[in-house]
Amino acid sequence: MSPTLEYYCPCQSSTPHPPQPNLPSSSYSFHALHNLYFCEECDAIRCNHCVMVEVSGYYCPNCLFEVPSASVRAEKNRCRSCARNCFMCPCCSNTLTVVPSDPPDDGDGRPPPIISATGEPPFFLYCNHCRWDSAEVGITFEKPTGLAAQLQKFEDSAPEALEFERLKEHFEPYLRASPSTSGHGLGHSHSTHINPITAAASSALARDIPGVARYTPHISARSRSGRDKNSNRHEVPDYRARVEIGSTGLNLGGGAESDVDFVRHLETVEEMATLEQRWGNSWIISPRASDLKPVRIPLHSKKSKRCPSCRHILIKPEQKAQSVRYKIKLVAANYLPAISISLPHMQAALAMLRRSGRAGAEPQDGTMLAGKTYPFHLSFTNPLYDPIQVRLHVQRALPPTSPNAPPDAEKARRPPFAVTLPSAAFPIAAFAEAWEYDDDEDMFGIDDDDFDGRGGGGAGRDARGKSRTVGVLERRANVTVVGGEVMISKEARGDVKFNMLVSYTYRSDDPDPADELGTPSRTQAQNRQPEMKTFSFYTVVDLGTIIVRDASGNDTE
Amino acid sequence: MSAAPTTPRKPAKYESATPLQTPHTTRVATTTNIIQSSPHYATTRRHSLYGTEDRIIIDPGSRVWKVGFSGEGKPRDVFLAGGKSGQPLWTLNRAISPREKEEEDRLLDARLQQTLRHVFHNSLLTDPKSRKVIVIEHPLLPLHIKEAVARILFNNLQVPSISFASGHLLALLAAGRVTGLVLDTGHLESIVLPIYSSRPLFPHLRASPLAGARLSSHLRALLLMFGTYHPPPENLSHAQTPSFSRATRVPEEILTDLVIEDLKTRCCFVGEALDSDIKSAFPAVLPSGAPSETTPSDVGRSESDYTQSETSASQQGAPPSSEFSVVSHSNIPSNLDRPKPGESHLQALASLYQRHSTASDLHIRVVPPPSQQHGSGRGTLVIPGWIRERAAEVLFEGGDVDESSVAEVILDSLLRVPVDLRKSLASSILVIGGTPMLPGFIPRLHAELLRILNRSTSSSPAPGASGRRGRPRSVVYDRYTALRPLSTYIAILNNPLPPPPASSRAAQNAGKAPAFTPACLAWVGGSLAGALKTGGAEVAREKWDEADAADADADEAMDTSPPVTPRAVVRSILPDWTRTALPVGAPPAKPPPPAAPLPGADVAVDAA
Repeated sequence: MSPTLEYYCPCQSSTPHPPQPNLPSSSYSFHALHNLYFCEECDAIRCNHCVMVEVSGYYCPNCLFEVPSASVRAEKNRCRSCARNCFMCPCCSNTLTVVPSDPPDDGDGRPPPIISATGEPPFFLYCNHCRWDSAEVGITFEKPTGLAAQLQKFEDSAPEALEFERLKEHFEPYLRASPSTSGHGLGHSHSTHINPITAAASSALARDIPGVARYTPHISARSRSGRDKNSNRHEVPDYRARVEIGSTGLNLGGGAESDVDFVRHLETVEEMATLEQRWGNSWIISPRASDLKPVRIPLHSKKSKRCPSCRHILIKPEQKAQSVRYKIKLVAANYLPAISISLPHMQAALAMLRRSGRAGAEPQDGTMLAGKTYPFHLSFTNPLYDPIQVRLHVQRALPPTSPNAPPDAEKARRPPFAVTLPSAAFPIAAFAEAWEYDDDEDMFGIDDDDFDGRGGGGAGRDARGKSRTVGVLERRANVTVVGGEVMISKEARGDVKFNMLVSYTYRSDDPDPADELGTPSRTQAQNRQPEMKTFSFYTVVDLGTIIVRDASGNDTE
Repeated sequence: MSAAPTTPRKPAKYESATPLQTPHTTRVATTTNIIQSSPHYATTRRHSLYGTEDRIIIDPGSRVWKVGFSGEGKPRDVFLAGGKSGQPLWTLNRAISPREKEEEDRLLDARLQQTLRHVFHNSLLTDPKSRKVIVIEHPLLPLHIKEAVARILFNNLQVPSISFASGHLLALLAAGRVTGLVLDTGHLESIVLPIYSSRPLFPHLRASPLAGARLSSHLRALLLMFGTYHPPPENLSHAQTPSFSRATRVPEEILTDLVIEDLKTRCCFVGEALDSDIKSAFPAVLPSGAPSETTPSDVGRSESDYTQSETSASQQGAPPSSEFSVVSHSNIPSNLDRPKPGESHLQALASLYQRHSTASDLHIRVVPPPSQQHGSGRGTLVIPGWIRERAAEVLFEGGDVDESSVAEVILDSLLRVPVDLRKSLASSILVIGGTPMLPGFIPRLHAELLRILNRSTSSSPAPGASGRRGRPRSVVYDRYTALRPLSTYIAILNNPLPPPPASSRAAQNAGKAPAFTPACLAWVGGSLAGALKTGGAEVAREKWDEADAADADADEAMDTSPPVTPRAVVRSILPDWTRTALPVGAPPAKPPPPAAPLPGADVAVDAA
């Protein structure tokens, strides 16, 4: 397991400080950099848990057909699944293909008279992966196109849809009377405008004695006409189901007795459909895997995302389903330095593993032992066109929720390790397109040397001893590598995880409009030129799990 | 108990604030004035073609969520809320220390938020800001969860309004009824709620923790004890001759939640009750006689139960256990939190069940545990047929006061219902939830109901619970005496295989519900309610924001107070049957309702 570093989005908590990293809930507040957005207006990080998502277009993931949103909305039932020929195998969720049936064999050996380009009807759906075909469940098509429309007929007459309509018709007259009676601000227990005395009195009056005919006096007075035909206690006449569960239990293909028998005599579990294949059905169907119907491929959507507070668009994809580009893309990776973390001793262990030819083995040797000190490297990559100054802090003190906690619990929650980071600010050079074209081999070569050398020596690469494990180790292009150190106490357990506050100072907007215009708000700041701005964000660093010394047989180095 | 009819039995909310409403509108209240007063709604109303009027129906469970649009016959998406791990979003337990509780709440919030966002953005692909939401709630859904759901929907997703509607009532609507006794056996709890004329009689609600989760743990325990596992063959050449000689006991790691769930849904079914003559041969293993001893998964039993089970097991369980000498017993105590069951008793039970089961043994390919990865391919888990058939017995074997069987919980609720309603309620029982999807569950439930009611008092030993609690009774006590005459009226609306009716009333009702699956009934009801423009008291976002603002003010004003106070403000916005509806200062018409529900809720929580 390699060490990870994730960025904090403060949307989950009310305080700007991140939660303790060892809490399981904290994992929902930290995200990988590539999942984050950055709102320029609010000058804040936004994550997928807080942005407002809007659907900007629907498309079928299989045929990439764009479905106009009007038709998605208009066709109530059949939207959100591809309306063309895209179906999914119910068994393996592979895409089904339409295949023609074998040409009729007349027995005289000559080819059939008409060979259409599409093949012979009836057509059916066939799974290339598991060889499921729709003819098995009795679904065939006359034409090889517009299968969804052909199937629609069956779906419209699906028993649950018909039953549902029937239920609706049954209850509609009964309910139609209700709005008129309930338009007086009733039904809200929290409505405060009712005089308490009136409320109490009316409730006392309305208190009904169950089973007695006048048990709903206000109802019968109000809307008796609607449903008084049935004078017994049901004011709604009995509903007669279109398909009664009891009468059809046996011939529905999945009635209880036959099901029980079927399950009782199961030969293999595969005969039974899985829960996922069945649970979307609201109608009782056979649980046999052989009776599954092809599944329509649900539509996907292209989503645009907005900042939750200022509503500015952060992400706007291009409309076309085939396009993977964005019209607007404010991702955090363009604003925040990318930080990657590595443990030199783990790299060394990996390298050793590779050398010894056990490349497949788990790099167990790279984990950390209690009571030792390990260096780690943080490499910062600056995405901005300006050089930045970065300063790091470890979040040591707990957020201010702690005061009311008992002190001993406080102590127990203190992390069992100490982290040393370079305290001074360090620079990272500006990003320039030119760097992109720099010989990559060179950079990787440096990296490799770096890690190999470090792993062997356990100290700084320029052999100045321990002092060089903490501090700036390397600067090249727009990347700066700094070293830190973690000292793990003897009786430490759990993960080495800590929150790190990263602040970086950058020159305000590069083609600053203030330079030309000098907007009033900016001018006074502009006087001290160039205007510097600082942005801070939290990250969580997870260096890995501490191994108790006796538990691990072999040492790291 | 029989004094109940004279007390007002309506939820107080209804009494105070809705004197003029139709009876139907208690929970599925019409959308009322908010809709009509909102100009926004009036404008969108015309565009019903575009379906913006369709509400979103969310049926959130601790594990499985069903979501979709109103007016449709089936949910658009059904998914495991916990993601692939299948970990439930919440359980019956809450952490005790405030710090852990806080953390638990945060975790719940985060996971709920993730799930709810998934609902709108991935399942339904719709803009939450333009959709009203109906959340199907379950009467014992803890308020903090309900509140969290509302908070996320309003604050994070900014839905225009939320209604909470009782799943029991909605399911009844989907069955075409407004009166009935609804049993919801979900993952965590089995809850019975009598509903009369679309009014849920919340004070008569009964709950039991015998539900899906218990079935899972029981199944796991049975498999650990009686299942066999063949590790994957060492090399492929031996693959043809399965290494049956290497059969081992089942390693606990392979029985992950997902595997268990798969087994439950694909292998298990509910066999008929064993005949009485068989039972009399084994009096002590009779489900009614020795109720909870058969559940090694029980964690909440009292001390006395254990001693009793041990003794009863040692008395009679010895002879047949020799058949199972192969099975190592050491696996059971390896479960730290699991009490040591009467093992020999279990053996006896196993042999009894095995003798009377014709279900086939199943071989299932499972991923071998990571500790034994040396083989190739997958291991094989052999599930004895009787486990498939009898694992669900645990749900029908109640006896403990806190853990009534699913049949007993129905009868318990029926006992609390006013006598005049009993007949109509008993003849329209509706069974919903995921666990009744087990083939044979509902017919078996019917049989169990009849068996309890028709049990002859003379031959039956004291039926557990009431006699056992504290004072040992020598007198035969039958708490269901009052219900005996009802046995001819018992009818389950969605019984797929109704037995020949014993009365015309039962004939009218048994098996007359539309053939919706029990698991989806509540959702379908929600869809129906949404299509009928009703669906519970609505909370509009403006209201919520107001309350939220007030909350923030209060927060600033008195910063010293613990966060309980501001939360209470928000809470009062959400309608819930456990809250007294009378405005402050009004003379109480009856003892405050929270007192009635809470014991039930506590019982359920404690028992888990």
